[in-house]
Amino acid sequence: MKCELCQKAEAETAIHRKVGAEEQELYVCKACASAGAGPEAGATPEVEQQAAEGCQAVGGVAAFPLMGMILDAAFEIVGRAAVAAGEASCPVCGITRAEYRKASRLGCPACYEAFSEELEAAILDLHRSLQHNGKTPERCQRSRQLAQLERALAEAVQAQRYEEAIALRDQLRRLGGGGAC
Amino acid sequence: MLNLESSYSLRRARLVSADDIAMTCRVRLARNLERERFPDWATGKDRERVLETVCGAVMREAGEFRVSAVAALDEQARDVLCEMHLASQDLMAREVGGGVAYAPDGSVCVMVNEEDHLRIQGFAKGLELEAAWRAADALDTALERHLPYAWTPRYGYLTACPSNVGTGLRAGAMLHLLGLRLLGEIEAVVRGLERMRLLVRGVAGEGSEAAGQIYQVSNMDTLGRDEAETVGRVKRICTEVVRQEYQARVRLVRESPLVLADCLARSLSVLQSARLMSTAEALEFLSALRLGAALGLVTRLKVADVDRLILLMQPGHLQKSLGLALTPEERDEMRAVFLRRRVASLRLKG
Repeated sequence: MKCELCQKAEAETAIHRKVGAEEQELYVCKACASAGAGPEAGATPEVEQQAAEGCQAVGGVAAFPLMGMILDAAFEIVGRAAVAAGEASCPVCGITRAEYRKASRLGCPACYEAFSEELEAAILDLHRSLQHNGKTPERCQRSRQLAQLERALAEAVQAQRYEEAIALRDQLRRLGGGGAC
Repeated sequence: MLNLESSYSLRRARLVSADDIAMTCRVRLARNLERERFPDWATGKDRERVLETVCGAVMREAGEFRVSAVAALDEQARDVLCEMHLASQDLMAREVGGGVAYAPDGSVCVMVNEEDHLRIQGFAKGLELEAAWRAADALDTALERHLPYAWTPRYGYLTACPSNVGTGLRAGAMLHLLGLRLLGEIEAVVRGLERMRLLVRGVAGEGSEAAGQIYQVSNMDTLGRDEAETVGRVKRICTEVVRQEYQARVRLVRESPLVLADCLARSLSVLQSARLMSTAEALEFLSALRLGAALGLVTRLKVADVDRLILLMQPGHLQKSLGLALTPEERDEMRAVFLRRRVASLRLKG
């Protein structure tokens, strides 16, 4: 069985995670178990204390002057539906919307996916852009090329430039799906 | 009374470098590892694992770097690193899993487990932001061979705070803007910079006051523009601020010579006679002396000499030079002694 978090390595262990009021059991690989197992997933008292210290440290600091205000505004809009459906949390690190809203800091890279809707609004407010145009790590070059082709394909279809769209689709097929990043 | 106009006219011909106003610059890159919690939410064990991974990569790629865990540094060593901008106060508070690696010449460094897993910084003098960028970029490219950075095609480098996501790049320069302050024009300049979406902070970074009228000006946006564009834009705008400060200094000499002379004379007198001197106070008086040196109005004093005093009078360097651990009160006394000796022979021209 594949790891339920990264979907790559073989699952070796089970972790328990609270999602809202519900307790979930996830079968995960060793790496995800050590990265994703929060204090609630059976950590030792020492680890729990360290985690609590970390939370206090971020809770007391205004990380970025506008961040709190911008995140507040974004959550005010998006958060209502989430509150009705129960508190959302990141499936990898387990932090909740309320926790990272308070700290103005995310829990792990997977939070960008877990809280994508509200983050999109906050990021647009902060940077006036939603597209990275800078450096790409060597191992992620293929992912970037795929993403660029997919964007170009969507634009071509929308503008009814079908010949161009077919050429882009063929390029995408040649590259194959699923990047490393 | 000082003959400022003639002194400054002589000096002006030699005032060709922006370094008199732009003190130093740096480029910082924020990076994180895939599948690891960001440092503020990670457990001590998580952070120690990240520290080990990053230090291993640094040692493979840059064997000459000095590498140290925060826990292994005493208070004085921590102060020295912060005063050289090789580490931040936040990093020095990270007892478990915090670490720093830096080139022996201090031109580039990596902070480990500060706000992000890695904060790579390149430094350069004046407004040579491209050089600072090249230094940080080269180390980043070398480290990425060993480190699985969290990166997506849409958002680029993923960071603990969304305000850094994208390039993770902050390019900034330290600008000495006392001329604009003395003419009462600094607030308008700061407002203008903020309208252009630049961050204006004090020497110690986020949340700090611009002590000694030294301002850190850096880009706000990290998404949308690429690294070269961002660095180029910050440089262009900082060059314009340097030009405005230069013009303010010219006007100060021509239109308000008494204000300038008073500021220099008071500052030099206090530095030559005080028996107790805090760091913040010393920075204010040395800032005035720096302006005097740039305008050629103080005998035998160069801007670089004042910059050296600004570094050496700070708590870590002061205690290191004396080989003593001092209380804050003792430091103020020894700082006053140190500065009195260094400025004893200085005189204002004219």
